[in-house]
Amino acid sequence: MKRILQAGAVVCLLATSAFGAATEKYLHVRVTSNSDKEVVSVNVPLSLAEKVIPAINHGKLNQGKVTIDNADMNGIDLHAILEAVKNSPDGEFVTIQGKDQDVRVAKSKGNLVVHVTDKSGDKQKNGEKKNEKVDVIIPMAVVNALAPTDKHEIDLVAAIHALTESGEKLIVTVHSDDDDVKVWVDAESGSNEPSAHE
Amino acid sequence: MLLLGKILLGAAGTVVAMGAVVSSEGFVNVRVHENKPDGVHLHIIAPVLLMNAGLHFVPREHLKEAAEQVRPWLPVIDAAVKELKKSDDVDLVEVTGPDEHVKVATHGGSMVVDVTDAEDEVHVSLPLSEIDRVVHEIAAAGPTI
Repeated sequence: MKRILQAGAVVCLLATSAFGAATEKYLHVRVTSNSDKEVVSVNVPLSLAEKVIPAINHGKLNQGKVTIDNADMNGIDLHAILEAVKNSPDGEFVTIQGKDQDVRVAKSKGNLVVHVTDKSGDKQKNGEKKNEKVDVIIPMAVVNALAPTDKHEIDLVAAIHALTESGEKLIVTVHSDDDDVKVWVDAESGSNEPSAHE
Repeated sequence: MLLLGKILLGAAGTVVAMGAVVSSEGFVNVRVHENKPDGVHLHIIAPVLLMNAGLHFVPREHLKEAAEQVRPWLPVIDAAVKELKKSDDVDLVEVTGPDEHVKVATHGGSMVVDVTDAEDEVHVSLPLSEIDRVVHEIAAAGPTI
């Protein structure tokens, strides 16, 4: 009986270590310049970012936190906004359909979603239309982690940690006539196309 | 004859042991190729141990400016190198243009930088474990704070 228990304990330990082993996640940034025909790819292991950022003490970034002065925010209480978003149910927060821009800010399926379409290029009379489309999808866990108890700080390290835990995601896409930008997180160390799309 | 054999064996053993010590820290690989008729074509594979020893012979005053610039960033470099050593091989930065290609990557425990354009090809590879040591050596060369 004792041997069976010992064997069981070993099996449990192995199973825990196998399933508990965290897979490395990478933050990928790819900028494709359509005019220069140039592609810039940056791939950063999130564990690297999580350890390196606290070591940077420069300007407003100290120990992984960015200090925000009231003057920088023009009186806007960012902490209050993040708290409000955190506590509100899924739904559309902002929908603007203007002549120059369409903006949509929503909370959906555990993500904060921002879509901006800049249509001002339509007005250009030289035959070139310079439109831009921006899509941002940030897991709410990351938004929550950004807003610590201190009103004047943004916790970058906590946000990166939350990003690591949140799975594979396409976070930002910017499409314009000049450049395409993609920012995503996955477990691939190379800069292949994003494998997951929200 | 037996004595000569023992001496030769001892000498060969010493050479092998010295070679093992010199190469134990890994190798620095530098390759420069200029794409023009009288261009430089250089390929150096040197043991890191020799590079470290060479750094001691660089006059301190030549390293002073580099030391001042690198010193504030030592904690960041230390943290980055420590994590990169643990991480799998990764292409950290890659720039691909019509006439140029730049890649900074980690590969097999080394930091590898490749730059290729119309005029030059440059390849530098340095073991990650040595980056820390070299950077600290340079930082120590500046005036004491």
